[in-house]
Amino acid sequence: MPPDLAADATGATDERFKTVLDRLITMSQRDYYDPYTLFDWPESLPEDAWWMSPELLTLHNTEYGKTLTEKQLRAVSRWESLNFYSLNVHGIRELLTEMIARIHTDEFALPSEYFHHVIGEENEHMWFFAKFCLNYGRIYPNRAMAFAGPGIPEADHFLVFSRLLIFEEIVDVFNQKMGVDDRLHPTIQQVNQVHHQDESRHIAFGRQAVALLHARLRDTLGQGELAELERYLKQYMRSSVDSMVSPAVYRDAGLPEPYQVRRAVLADPAHEDYTRTVLRRSVSFMVNEKIFSDDRIPPACPN
Amino acid sequence: MPELTNEPTTATNTVGIAFIVDYLLTKRPDLDSIDPDLDLIESRVLDSLGFVNFLYALEEHTGREISLDQVSPEDFRTVNRIAARFLHDVAND
Repeated sequence: MPPDLAADATGATDERFKTVLDRLITMSQRDYYDPYTLFDWPESLPEDAWWMSPELLTLHNTEYGKTLTEKQLRAVSRWESLNFYSLNVHGIRELLTEMIARIHTDEFALPSEYFHHVIGEENEHMWFFAKFCLNYGRIYPNRAMAFAGPGIPEADHFLVFSRLLIFEEIVDVFNQKMGVDDRLHPTIQQVNQVHHQDESRHIAFGRQAVALLHARLRDTLGQGELAELERYLKQYMRSSVDSMVSPAVYRDAGLPEPYQVRRAVLADPAHEDYTRTVLRRSVSFMVNEKIFSDDRIPPACPN
Repeated sequence: MPELTNEPTTATNTVGIAFIVDYLLTKRPDLDSIDPDLDLIESRVLDSLGFVNFLYALEEHTGREISLDQVSPEDFRTVNRIAARFLHDVAND
């Protein structure tokens, strides 16, 4: 039988992990709400308003962005926010698929009780993100295709939970700012606030799980394989950030030559600032846990 | 939906194959050439993390958005398959 996620090499249960799980379950029960009745969904949202904090736009501080009027930037904010919620819908699909594949298996016996809460909450998040998109625009199609990973089968669980954690940490950077940004419509603020509250628990779990899984891998993998995992996750971070830079968004916002705009944004030094802002917390966690040997993320690839 | 073929023959495909090979070679400067039947996924010329950039390059080249709901990784297995699947559509518009 494979070892339980919460057991160390001797088979002893990691008491800290168990304590965290118990605390998260208590918090999930305490904070439970009915998303289907919680939100006010106005018939429409003002199209010429900010839909996303302007500092979080992919065009922020870029040379191309500086050539646009505020009206154009507000239009970009509308479609970019819809792309952001769409990325959430697709990311949650992956999260649910992977978690359901592991719940009540031997290796995940201990966290399975908490998985029920995460699965329930993520299903509800997917519902309100999708509803927002369908009410006020559209769900942008998924642009990700799953091919083979780094080819280290022992690291499968670690990579899955790392990808999910990175995804949740990135999203939370946006939620935290937009949840309290008075320039945004109350419904937009509320969606971001509610998501942030639930995600803080999911991130706490993800950090524990990723740290435990990597500690186990350090006992079994060689330095070359550990370095390959680091390379893969850093590239995953880069791809995740760059997925916000969408030609379809620029086209819907009325910008000409949307593929050229994407290349210009990715090549702009301001995009590296954007990357640092979005990834700061997750990179810091990875370095502190010695999963990353440094905080350098590969540069964007404009072509 | 057009059927996949392994032998693209149109002028559009010939140009398209050159475009695809040139693009992939810029991503893999360690390679001198890419056989149109090379398994791009097995050889890791194409991977999940570099896929989106390639997708956008292909969309810009063909002038059409590609819906991933209607394609599978197999459609990206070789240069010939990519050309047959995506440039075949263009040739028959």
